[in-house]
Amino acid sequence: MTDNRSFLDFADRWVVVTGASSGLGRAVAIELARHGARVILVGRDQARLAETEAAIAGTECRVLGLDLARHDSIAPEIVRIQKETGPIYGLCHAAGVVETRPLQANKVEVIQRQLDVNLLAGLELARAVCRRDVMTQEGGSLLFISSVYGHVGMPGQIGYCASKGAVAAAVRAMAMELARRNIRVNSLSPGLVFTGMTEQALGLLSAEHVERLKATYPLGPGQPEDVARAAVFLLAPGTRWITGADLAVDGGFTAQ
Amino acid sequence: MKAQDAVSWIAEVFEEPSGRITAETLRKEIPGWDSLGTLSLIAGLDERFDVHLSENDIDGMQRVSDILDILRRNGKLEDA
Repeated sequence: MTDNRSFLDFADRWVVVTGASSGLGRAVAIELARHGARVILVGRDQARLAETEAAIAGTECRVLGLDLARHDSIAPEIVRIQKETGPIYGLCHAAGVVETRPLQANKVEVIQRQLDVNLLAGLELARAVCRRDVMTQEGGSLLFISSVYGHVGMPGQIGYCASKGAVAAAVRAMAMELARRNIRVNSLSPGLVFTGMTEQALGLLSAEHVERLKATYPLGPGQPEDVARAAVFLLAPGTRWITGADLAVDGGFTAQ
Repeated sequence: MKAQDAVSWIAEVFEEPSGRITAETLRKEIPGWDSLGTLSLIAGLDERFDVHLSENDIDGMQRVSDILDILRRNGKLEDA
């Protein structure tokens, strides 16, 4: 039976997914469940986490309400839930915040809010999940949702670009450090995908501007499922020789 | 806030020297009031006054007095 399994089969391994209450995180959680993973859904909004839980009915999961801007609570909560679930195999840090702010109106606290969730919470989650008394003995797989804006610039997105670029840099360092424990660390850089977060950011732009932005994508804008499928690929136990990579999932945007 | 203080605040948002703009100054006369300047204004109105602009508000702003009208409509401006 084992021989017939897809290399994308998670075979009941536990994966923590942040931002699971909506958007990319929810899509990743659903796709992981389709591939035999058990998921720990992390988010702030309990009602919307329950909707994600309902969407993956039939798959074992846990819901962990957590404010990722409060870094001190992350490790204790991961350790606590691991006592219920048993060893954890993977992490997908999909939670993210964006605040559109030109340089002249930017403030340290605005940038800090984006760094707190997009970067620092992810690193603290990685630290917690990789603890030897938390992670599976075989090793594991960490995936960070970065962004095309970690690679190319965008007016008004200085803090967001900085946070996503830092994610990709941290991923490479973690990949080097954790390879000896057979822990793989990768990132995905999605382009324009319509989620609640992007709609909030795009809401400040004129309709014409949004149309121009869409037109810069050779394959057009993406859907959360497009990112989720790539996430499953990089997280899966079968992609065991991929680490330190950043995969552009952007309809060709950064290939231009 | 008094109207004159609001005009000074608007000048600060668009990085104009204090006193160069008045309520009657047109958007096209303010170099910093471009698309990014508009985003700065949106952020500033939200943070400073808890005023959220509609798409119509944003499209309709052609002079400094239009911003003052928005503040007045939202009860943020003391009538002279």
